[in-house]
Amino acid sequence: MSPDFDEIVGTDDGERERLRRVHELLVTAGPPPELTPRLERTPSTQGSVFWLPRVPAKHRTTLLFAAALVVLAAFFGGYGAGKIHRSTSPESLLSLRGTATAPHAVASLQIFAKQAGNWPMTLTVADLPKLPSHAYYEVFLVRNGKPYLSCGEFTVDGGSAPLTVQLNAPYVFQHGDTWVVTKQLPGTEKPGPTVLKPV
Amino acid sequence: MELALDVPRLRAVPTRAATPAPTGETSDAELLVRVGKRDRAAFELLYRRYVHSVFGLALRRLRDRGHAEDAVQEVFAAVWRSAGSYRPERGPAGGWLYTVARNAIVDRLRRSGPATEGELPELVSPESGPDRQAEESHTAWQIHRALEELPPREREVIELAYWGEMSQSEVATFLGLPLGTVKTRTRSGLARLADVLEGELL
Repeated sequence: MSPDFDEIVGTDDGERERLRRVHELLVTAGPPPELTPRLERTPSTQGSVFWLPRVPAKHRTTLLFAAALVVLAAFFGGYGAGKIHRSTSPESLLSLRGTATAPHAVASLQIFAKQAGNWPMTLTVADLPKLPSHAYYEVFLVRNGKPYLSCGEFTVDGGSAPLTVQLNAPYVFQHGDTWVVTKQLPGTEKPGPTVLKPV
Repeated sequence: MELALDVPRLRAVPTRAATPAPTGETSDAELLVRVGKRDRAAFELLYRRYVHSVFGLALRRLRDRGHAEDAVQEVFAAVWRSAGSYRPERGPAGGWLYTVARNAIVDRLRRSGPATEGELPELVSPESGPDRQAEESHTAWQIHRALEELPPREREVIELAYWGEMSQSEVATFLGLPLGTVKTRTRSGLARLADVLEGELL
C-alpha cells in the first residue's frame, strides 16, 4: 500500500508535480535493506586483508554468538550485575544496540535451555524512550533478515534503571535467526520500526 | 626509535595543518579522492553513505543475503584498492561507485553460477526484462543513497509513511508528534530528496 500523496503534500503545493515524481520513485524503490550485523561495522582497511576473515556460512552464527558473549560480559559487568533472576546459565547471549530511533538504548537477550519446545528468554534493556499511550515494544525473532515471529511485548516508564522482562520463543530455531525490538502501534500486527538490533 | 621518513630535502614545503576530518558536508567526490590517498575517516564516511545502496543492489541481483553480504565486502575492498584511479573531472562519484559495485556483483554472480538462481524467492517482477531490472536497480540505488542525505527526523517520517504503511495521523501518534509537524517534516523530506535527485532522476 503506497501512502496517500495528497495527504502528504496537499493539493495546492507549487512543487506538486516535482514532489509527486519523488513520491513515485520512493514507492518504486521500496525500503533499503536492513544491514546484517557484519555490514553494520565499517570494514577494516589495515594491510591488504579486508574486513573479517571470511567464514563459512554454517559457522557464522556461532561466531556471532561468541562475539556477543564477549560484549555482554562487559555489559553485565556494568549494567546487569546481580540482575539475572534465573538460576541456570543462559545457552546464548545476544547484545543489542539502539537504532537511530532510540540511539542511546542498549539491551541484552539471554536465551535459556529449551523446555518442552519453549526457549525461555530474559531481555535486559536500558535507555529506551517511553512511548505514547497504548504503544508498546515488541521482541521479534528475525528470520531471513525480517521480523518473523513475536516473542513478547513490553513497555518502559522512561526511567534510567535497566528493565528486565521475561519472554519466550516457542519456535524451532533456524540457522541465522536473530532478534530485534520494534515499536508497535496498538491494532497493528505488522512489525513497526526497529529500535534495537544485534550488535 | 627513529623513523625513516621519505621527505624531500631541497624543496621548501609550506607548513600545512593536518587534513581536517571529513564531515557530513564533504562531497562524495572529495571523500573518494581522500580514500584514494588512504584516508581511513573518509572511507568510513563513504561506507556509511553507500552501504545500504550497495547491499540493496547486491540483494536485487544475487537474491541471497549471504552472497550479497560477501559482495558488499568485495565492492568496498575494490573501492579501497582503486579509489586512486577516480578523477572527479570525468564524472560524479556516485556513478563511479555504481560501476564498481555493479562490476563486483556481476563477477560474483558469474562465480556463483546458475545454482544461485531460483534458490530464494524472487525479488524482481518476473515481467521485468534485464534492461528494466537494471533500470529499477539503478533507481533504487539512487533513492537509497539520496535517503542518506536526509536529516534523521525527516528520514524517519518518510520511512514510516512509505514503508511502515502508516497514514500521517498514525505516524504522528506513533512518534508522539503533532500531525502538523509530521506533515511538515514529510514534505520537507520529499523536497530535499527532489533537490538531491535533481538532474539524476528528475
